[in-house]
Amino acid sequence: MYFKLCLRKLKIIFAKQNSTIIYNILNNSEVKTLKNKKVSLFDFIQKQAAIGTWEYDIKLKTVQWSSQTKLIHEVPLDYEPTVELGLSFYRKGDSLNTISEAFTNCIEKHTDYDVEIQIITATGKYKWVRAIGTAIIENNECVKVQGLFQDIDEKTKNSKALAFKERQLSRTFETALVGMAIIDLKGNWIDVNKSFCNTFGYTKAEIQSLTFMDVTHPDDLEQDYKAMKAMLNGKVDHFEVEKRYLNKKRETIWTQLFVSIVRNSSGEARHFVAQINDLTEIKKSNHKVSQLLATTENQNKRLLNFAHIVSHNLRSHYGNLDMLLDIVKMDLPETTENEIFPLVEQAVSHLGETVANLNEVAAINIQKDLKTEPINLLKHFNTAFSSISALILESKTEITVDIDPKIVVKGVPAYLDSILLNFLTNAIKYKKPNEPAKIDINTNRDKEFVVLEIKDYGQGIDLKKYGDKLFGMYKTFHKHEDSRGIGLFITKNQVEAIGGKIEVESKVNEGTTFYIHLKTYE
Amino acid sequence: MNKIDIACIIDDNPIFIFGAKRMMELSNFCNSFMVFKNGQEAINNLKVLMSSGESIPEIILLDINMPIMDGWQFLDEFTTIESHKLITIYIVSSSIDPVDMNRAKHYENVSNYIIKPISLETLNTLLKEVTQE
Repeated sequence: MYFKLCLRKLKIIFAKQNSTIIYNILNNSEVKTLKNKKVSLFDFIQKQAAIGTWEYDIKLKTVQWSSQTKLIHEVPLDYEPTVELGLSFYRKGDSLNTISEAFTNCIEKHTDYDVEIQIITATGKYKWVRAIGTAIIENNECVKVQGLFQDIDEKTKNSKALAFKERQLSRTFETALVGMAIIDLKGNWIDVNKSFCNTFGYTKAEIQSLTFMDVTHPDDLEQDYKAMKAMLNGKVDHFEVEKRYLNKKRETIWTQLFVSIVRNSSGEARHFVAQINDLTEIKKSNHKVSQLLATTENQNKRLLNFAHIVSHNLRSHYGNLDMLLDIVKMDLPETTENEIFPLVEQAVSHLGETVANLNEVAAINIQKDLKTEPINLLKHFNTAFSSISALILESKTEITVDIDPKIVVKGVPAYLDSILLNFLTNAIKYKKPNEPAKIDINTNRDKEFVVLEIKDYGQGIDLKKYGDKLFGMYKTFHKHEDSRGIGLFITKNQVEAIGGKIEVESKVNEGTTFYIHLKTYE
Repeated sequence: MNKIDIACIIDDNPIFIFGAKRMMELSNFCNSFMVFKNGQEAINNLKVLMSSGESIPEIILLDINMPIMDGWQFLDEFTTIESHKLITIYIVSSSIDPVDMNRAKHYENVSNYIIKPISLETLNTLLKEVTQE
């Protein structure tokens, strides 16, 4: 405003050459200084306001720049401008076009101009200037153009930066994924963003006629009032809570609300800024997860119950059958001398075995809080190894063992025994028919696991055919008298129970390698 | 070989009772039987017998899973009854659950845990244990 006033007055000065008016816009002390120093008032104003003057005499074709104008252009004070030179400072494009047009119009149509444009100074700096031009008319003809030149670079840059920041802020507000709102001190929604509208189902116009109380779940109003009061009293400057709103369809929506109070420079509360994160979907999926968990727990319980049934009921029936067969043998020996009785006996014995196996598997799977302990792999291996030394000698099996004596794994000793023995006896059992078994044992380490590698050069397994069934219950792949098809199934369960896993590679007639991942003990 | 006078079977399964009795007869295990279908029935009758001091069994074969009063509840009750005669108790169950086996160890008056089915050898071993004591 001050500048505008100044400039308007200055125009008058040019016309009237009367400096008393200028005095009016300066305060007394400044005037005194001026008087004392006898500085040209005109120069003073030019310097203070960063305003230069210029004049173009159409008849003489001369251009005059005041020293301030030269300063703005960053040219030496003895610089002698011409119209062409003057125009050459303007930045090509908008700035040059604007000034050319305005200047031409001023001469031809006698219209004044006042534009904000950019020049490139003599030292190559881009600078925002305000250029004002006015035509001096004599006998209805333009004889001179006079004007002002003001350096508005800093001001323009600042306001442009501010405008940019404002644009950025309002874009952020508008496009934020979180719902944002400005609420006045009475609780009216003043402004809301798109995300807010999506969450609530109201348009901006609709919500602006409502208060936050209108859309808050009645049970959550009390806490809002308290929080508002605390913020208005200055006890807190923000508050965060998980609360329920009601959308346009009056359905409950769960949100995470963050509100802060905005005060002006003198500390007066102006409004609230709220961020509202829609948690409804999260709540819904949480609910699903907990339902799933409940189902799983329920199924686990049933599984446990099933294991119990197997353990107790099935076994007791088997026990009775077995006992009755014994009694029949003693009481009625004549009824056993036929083809059928041995088959019945066999069937009952298989039933007993099946129940025992089921039991073993169930016991591994339902055992909670399994007590694992550190086990030195090599020591443990040697123990297992010695317990089947007779079998190894008899079968002339050749075993090379390369286990780092420092490896300690986490496990249950009984399980590890069973695991090792099962793989060793399998490797011997399924050797090539005409040659002794050969087994290589190695270990590898990665971060979490010790990988025990047991490689045999035996019959191998067709993994394409049997791969998915390899670790299944009652699956046998070789015609071997001892094949029960339960070993690998139990082994896999045991390995998994102690946090490990098994991988396998195999080729028919070349052999099989099992990779047993065991947890490293830390 | 010595013979047990009275053997008591506490079990709810009629097939087991039939089989156990027959096995005992065949192995010449005892002179007479006493059979109860659950813990409650056993407690009620044994209490009376023990207070009169007559016909007290020397050995009890006790099942765990029974209706009304199970084997554990029976043991808890039974230990509160005073007896002048030593009664050897064996748990005979089809449960191979280690939890059950461990629990049996906590009862002083339980001599052993036998897993069903029982055979003639089992009975012979029991007979030796009881008569030698």
